[in-house]
Amino acid sequence: MKALRRALRRLASLATKRRDEQRMRIEMEEHMALQMGENLRAGVSPVEARRRAAWQFGPIEAIQESYRDQRGLPWMETLARDVSQALRRLRLAPAFALATIVTLALGIGATTSIFTLVHAVLLQSLPVANPAALYRLGRTTPANFMNAYNQHREISLVSYDGYQYFRSHTPGFAELAAFEVGGHRLGVRRAGAEALAQTYPGEFVSGNYFTMFGINPLAGRMLSARDEDVSAPAVAVMSDRLWRQQYGADPAVIGGVFNLNGKPVTVVGITPPGFFGDSLRNNPPDFFLPLTTAPTIEGDNDLTHPETAWLSMIGRIQPGARPAAIEAAMRVELRQWLQAHWGVMGARARANLARQTLFLEPGGAGISRMRDQYQQWLEILMTVSGLVLLIVCANVANLMLVRSLERRRQISLSRALGARTSRVVGQALTECMLLALLGGGAGLGLAFAGTRLILGLAFPPSAGPVPISAAPSLPVLFFALGVSLLTGIGFGIAPAWMATRVDPIEALRGGGRGLVSAGSAPRKAMVVLQAALCLALLSESGLLSAALHRLETQDLGFEQNGRTIASIDPTLAGYGREQLSPLYARIRTSIAGIPGVVAVGMAAYAPFSANNRDSSVWVEGRKPPGPDEDVQAWVDRVTGGYFEALGNRIVRGRGIGDESASSRHIAVVNQAFVRKFLPHEDPIGKHFGRADLGPDVYEIVGVAQDARYLTFGLDQPPQPFYFLPESQRETPEKDAGSHFLQDIVIATRPGVVLAPEAVARALAAVNPNLPLTSARPMSRQVAAEFTQQRLIARLTSLFGILSLILACTGMYGITAYNAGCRTGEIGVRMALGAGRGEAMRLILQGAFWLTALGLVLGLPLMLAAGRLLGNQLYGVSPFSAPVALAAVAALGLSTLVASLVPALRASRISPAQALRAE
Amino acid sequence: MPSAKEKNDVRQGTLALMVLKTLEALGPLHGYGIARRIEQISEDLLSVNQGTLYPVLLKLEQEGSVASAWGVSENNRKARFYRLTRAGRRQLDAETESWDTTAAIMGRFLAVKAEDFS
Repeated sequence: MKALRRALRRLASLATKRRDEQRMRIEMEEHMALQMGENLRAGVSPVEARRRAAWQFGPIEAIQESYRDQRGLPWMETLARDVSQALRRLRLAPAFALATIVTLALGIGATTSIFTLVHAVLLQSLPVANPAALYRLGRTTPANFMNAYNQHREISLVSYDGYQYFRSHTPGFAELAAFEVGGHRLGVRRAGAEALAQTYPGEFVSGNYFTMFGINPLAGRMLSARDEDVSAPAVAVMSDRLWRQQYGADPAVIGGVFNLNGKPVTVVGITPPGFFGDSLRNNPPDFFLPLTTAPTIEGDNDLTHPETAWLSMIGRIQPGARPAAIEAAMRVELRQWLQAHWGVMGARARANLARQTLFLEPGGAGISRMRDQYQQWLEILMTVSGLVLLIVCANVANLMLVRSLERRRQISLSRALGARTSRVVGQALTECMLLALLGGGAGLGLAFAGTRLILGLAFPPSAGPVPISAAPSLPVLFFALGVSLLTGIGFGIAPAWMATRVDPIEALRGGGRGLVSAGSAPRKAMVVLQAALCLALLSESGLLSAALHRLETQDLGFEQNGRTIASIDPTLAGYGREQLSPLYARIRTSIAGIPGVVAVGMAAYAPFSANNRDSSVWVEGRKPPGPDEDVQAWVDRVTGGYFEALGNRIVRGRGIGDESASSRHIAVVNQAFVRKFLPHEDPIGKHFGRADLGPDVYEIVGVAQDARYLTFGLDQPPQPFYFLPESQRETPEKDAGSHFLQDIVIATRPGVVLAPEAVARALAAVNPNLPLTSARPMSRQVAAEFTQQRLIARLTSLFGILSLILACTGMYGITAYNAGCRTGEIGVRMALGAGRGEAMRLILQGAFWLTALGLVLGLPLMLAAGRLLGNQLYGVSPFSAPVALAAVAALGLSTLVASLVPALRASRISPAQALRAE
Repeated sequence: MPSAKEKNDVRQGTLALMVLKTLEALGPLHGYGIARRIEQISEDLLSVNQGTLYPVLLKLEQEGSVASAWGVSENNRKARFYRLTRAGRRQLDAETESWDTTAAIMGRFLAVKAEDFS
């Protein structure tokens, strides 16, 4: 208590320093005066009286010093003095201060802005209660529905039946929730409103979903287990975002009826702000519906199919429960559940049954495909920005070294006057820390702007809102502060160390000579380090740019120009299966009537529409496919005229026309299909089917050129595809949903720009309830696919250029400095008859050797960087010679140019002038 | 340096107790008055630089044992007067007791002769 009180008083005295100082003086003076009066009264002379008083008082300077130490916080005062001195020194060298702060801001800003992304995407937990107690099923996060009995490597998705089994048999979970994978688009109309239907993302979730997350409603109520009863009235929970943005936070929305895909659903509550569901992704759900409403709203029976795995599971474990024990129990449950369905599962599933297993993973971060997708990229970016920061450190350290050389005289003088080593080092470090913090502050501003920019590039607003904020959060602030301090130490140690090596005698000698060699070794090391790091960065950005170029210029197998992709969702307007073929015909006719349109075709999935369906292939005349055999191919369903509209060339046979539903079922396959299933055979006229339908379902009538459809595997050759006419149906009917075609491919005459409004009008002419989900040029759809790669390539290129500039300024600095120090020598040489060329060679030689050393040291770094990029290069070799040569050339030439300027200047010295300067 | 400081601390502790006792006995006093009083009582036994009193006074004030205010000295000039606070009185009592105990123990200990141990 006493100590605390004293500390507070001492702290307060920092503010009242001047008054306290005055008080001390007055008190002591008065003391002396009183004592002197006493002495005078004792009868001594005034001079003697004063002398005695001083003697009795004691050594006044020392006493005052101890009084001052007692009064304030000496270390704080020292610090304040150091800081104010450092500030004054920086003000005296504004160019140096500005250069240093800008350089630091660039490095710290780049690192911090990448870290903001890393933090938001990779490190942050879901905004729910106690996320550490959440565990999810599956190590991987599949995007598509799967077979509930038979999944490769691990069971990561379950059917509703499977979910109910796990929920009722796993006591280790306090609450186990499920939700559909991927999410849905819903056609939404407020009951009684005039407006056209809008599409919003929705998600089917189990009744205990919100209870499990511990999420409380902003208004109304959340879903409960009762809502999951099949007989319960259809209810939904709306997102705070939609409620505010679309309905102006209208309280009547709660309890109001909305038509979702034409079915009346009562909205019972609003989620709290900041809750974005179970996954970090674009377009988080705006409607949460009980799983059991799926059959009504989606018009399919995934719910009651024990075979269809469409649900992810995430649960909150009981306090104190061991996840490993729960995992083991669930593996047993899985085995039991599978055994119970032995009678209804196919041969492949039975054969693989013993191999099925599952894994529980920490689920506090949710189930994020975004995370899986971005992790490696973000790690690469983090490494790259770290390298930039290192280069920045080296550069600033170099500047600081020059400065400390210039300050040598001053330091040696203060040492000669008795300054302690710790004070000298402290001053040097204070200056570095001050610079680092100023740079960090500026960098934080840069990072804020930079993160917004990167977010905008990485997640284009057209793709829907992303629940990531660019605003610097507390961890980001701490990160920036930590990085700044580390940087400060990083570049401050060398100058501080140099300061301790200053000999006090030097100041007395008053020389400037002999200093150069002392300071130049660490500076040269810094330049070499910079060059080496820069080479690694340049080659990395070169590799990524080359990979991007390769991606963008590859033959996609279809036309990008003059093509528009429009998307609709027929289920949203309540169409039944039988009405589809006539609907498609009317849509095609209506759109073909738009001026400038030359061809229209529709497909379940157009290229890069991020949705695909796969199936097994059984070629007629072969054995049924075994459980381990790879017979996978992708399947698409199209209308007549599709290949023509897409510009996908038919290389053999014919394409798909308006096929009769009753005639022989046909298929068009791509070249990859032929290579995989019918090599060395004429595919035309061959029959094939599926493992679950038999071997003779389709007759191949044509072969289409390989085209890129999938949004993954871009570094591999295109995968096998077969295309079926939408008008023909298999018996027994499988994949009924595949008849709902979503993508319209429209080919226009060259030079014609198709306005989305024109397409919307053409659709409205068919049915005003049929909303157009999107319409965009094919080239944009393709370009959007490479957004991420482009972003990474651009950012690393930016970082590469930045590091190149830094390396050049570093090289310029050291060459200019050396040239300056050798002015006298050059003058002597020139006076003795050396030419200008020789003078230049003298200077350039040093620069050349530094660069060469940097390049040699950079080579292994470059190889390591290539290895880091690994499979992100889409077929470009990580050790690509052209890229390496380009990087070496860029660095070599730039540093040469940077050192040319001081070399030229040195060569222009007139000998007389140089010698006079001596 | 550190050893000198330790010595100083010990002396300060003793000096602080003397200051508190002086203020208790005589009421508010300025620094010179305290110094003189201590000198008078200790006579020649204690030779302290008068100036060292001021850091001690400052410490006591920071701890809240004494309070100070401006006043007028005997020769009609501005001087700082110190007085004991209630906390200071408590501290004085506590330290007096502890000092008495220490002194008693030390006295007894030093009075011990060799035969007392047998």
